[in-house]
Amino acid sequence: MNEFFNPEFGNKVITLTAALVLVLQIAGAGQRWIVTNIRVFGVQSFLLALIAGAIAVFNHAPHLFIAAILTLLVKAIAVPIFLERLVDRIGIHQEIEPVINAPVSVVICGGLTLVGYIVAESFYQPEQTSGPAALGHNMLAVAVSLFLIGFFMIINRRTALTQVLALLSLENGLFLATISLTYGMPLIVELGVFFDVLLAVLVLAILVYRIRETFESMDVSRMRRLQG
Amino acid sequence: MILILLLLAPLLTASLSYAVRRRPAMEAVNLAGFGATFLLALLLGRQVLNRGAVSLWQGFLYADHLSALVILLTASVALICSVYAVGYMREDERSGALALGANGRSTHFKLRKYYTLTPLFIFALLLVTVSNNLGVLWVAIEATTLASVFLVTFYGKVTSLEAAWKYAILGGVGLSMALFGTVLTYYSGHHLAGSDTLAGLNWSVLASHAGQLDKTTMRLAFILALLGYGTKAGLAPMHTWKPDAYSEAPVPAAAILSTAMLNCALYGLVRFYILASRCLGPDFPGGLLLTFGALSMGISVPFVLVQRNFRRLLAYHTIDHAGIMVTALGVGGPLASLALMLHMIFHTIAKALLFLCAGNVYQHFQTDLFRKIKGGLIRVMPITGAVFLMAILAIIGMPPFSLFQSEFLILRAALTNGHWLSSALFVLFGAGVFAGALIHVGSLVLGAGDEPRPAAWHPWRHASMLALAAILVVIGFWLPAPLFELVRGAARVVTGG
Repeated sequence: MNEFFNPEFGNKVITLTAALVLVLQIAGAGQRWIVTNIRVFGVQSFLLALIAGAIAVFNHAPHLFIAAILTLLVKAIAVPIFLERLVDRIGIHQEIEPVINAPVSVVICGGLTLVGYIVAESFYQPEQTSGPAALGHNMLAVAVSLFLIGFFMIINRRTALTQVLALLSLENGLFLATISLTYGMPLIVELGVFFDVLLAVLVLAILVYRIRETFESMDVSRMRRLQG
Repeated sequence: MILILLLLAPLLTASLSYAVRRRPAMEAVNLAGFGATFLLALLLGRQVLNRGAVSLWQGFLYADHLSALVILLTASVALICSVYAVGYMREDERSGALALGANGRSTHFKLRKYYTLTPLFIFALLLVTVSNNLGVLWVAIEATTLASVFLVTFYGKVTSLEAAWKYAILGGVGLSMALFGTVLTYYSGHHLAGSDTLAGLNWSVLASHAGQLDKTTMRLAFILALLGYGTKAGLAPMHTWKPDAYSEAPVPAAAILSTAMLNCALYGLVRFYILASRCLGPDFPGGLLLTFGALSMGISVPFVLVQRNFRRLLAYHTIDHAGIMVTALGVGGPLASLALMLHMIFHTIAKALLFLCAGNVYQHFQTDLFRKIKGGLIRVMPITGAVFLMAILAIIGMPPFSLFQSEFLILRAALTNGHWLSSALFVLFGAGVFAGALIHVGSLVLGAGDEPRPAAWHPWRHASMLALAAILVVIGFWLPAPLFELVRGAARVVTGG
């Protein structure tokens, strides 16, 4: 049992899960179907909840359990179900039409990951052996990469709903950064952020629904009336 | 205690507005609620002047001179706009604008939406200014976006949806950067003792040991916060949502967006600037701010010059003024900080007034295109036309009005500190905006129109407009002593000491 709870082992588990999160993000960027995309996001959030839980256990940060449970309930379960219902209701199952095609997108994501590692390198303080900084090195790199790939996805996608998904995965990168750098924010801030994310998804979903109704399409690149 | 009351007033207004269903009751609730908010803001200002910073719950809520000033401005704009909104919404109901795109829902539904969302929006704006915790500050700024998105889609037109989408997505992306900046700020103080608690993210705590924060992290944090809150303030090149949102929202809401919300976004920037300049010295954040300021002023010039729509003209003007205020912040030092606070007051008054005038014109002609109105406003609507012209002269910085003073002070501070390039660009872009705005509004108000169809006197809309116009004139010559004390206090918060 003692063997199991040693931080060294925990570190490996956490880093491995973080790598999986990154792989999912890149897979999501090269992905063509909306429903699959929603599920990728759900699985990614589930893994994030796992990471938060693992950090809470291995590094003795019990308040992270609350963040883990909230992530599980909100981002891994509620939001994907809600978005899939929305997709059903507005009856779109067609492909995402990215501006840049899938293979090139994946290559670009690889490049962004590299940038993420370079940025994270400047935060690496080897003299600090305990505390978040020791854990943070790889995790922060993954978090920055998620963030950058999220940006790229927003630019690369034309339909309203997929932009929302990209924004959400960008938010996931942020969450990873908070739990890896500082073992999460103070609880009340964490709650506020979750509340805002939930509300933002709702607001954006209503907008998506109305855009679909009005434009007969979700292609936001067709919205070009307002200029100058 | 007063801080809680200040937050409760708009929140209560929103829930009461939602509960009472009749229009006169909603109007009364809104007027009373914003009246109370304004009185509380005055009280808070007095308390801060007498006793210094007010705080509550171990510093969770906190208001110093800077907060009190921004709160006072927010509350004043909210009050004036709520008076104006009564007349504006009644006119919309009469002319049938509310029935457009209502999808069979009654126009009453829309009234209720307006009178509920506006107090919520004001609540979020007030929360921004009283929260000491940088995380809560972020939550509140995100909440301002969420509360105002449906004010932008208010008329349900195709273009309003487009504007709202841009607003929501750009706001979301921008604010996610600001959140990253907030997280990094938290991390930058994480090696210090006692930073693991809620207070570790409190601005006043971070500011007190800003010198010990980790410098690399703080640098990145400031860049991200600048990009994030800069998006919310509409700094170029993240400004594209602004003209759309301002021209689609109902006019009283647009007035709040372009004054109170701009102030709150700048408030967030100022807080981060203080942390960054105490940690890294003023040169790094100052240089970035000057760059964004010059870019914002520059980008608004061509759009003001060729503008066809007067509400979009006002929006580009707001981008210009956001640039001016950011420049003042970037110059730094006591004089520029004082000028920044003065400019914030003067811009808030003048820009709110301009939106109210534009609303009157829009509702009379049912268009916001210069081409369709042709000119001669002064004969059709003598009062609104005259005030419109006066307000535009004020905002482009004509000497008798107060904005001339503050812009002149900013320029003087920039020259004294040796920012030659910024000063030169400031003058150049100022001249461009001056010419553009004057030509457009001049020909709108004075030109030869073809239909002398005199407009009627609308008590709610005209009274609120004239009151604001009177304030604008008076404040050009006489700034009340307590207000000036508050301004000086706010400037001291920025410079420290």
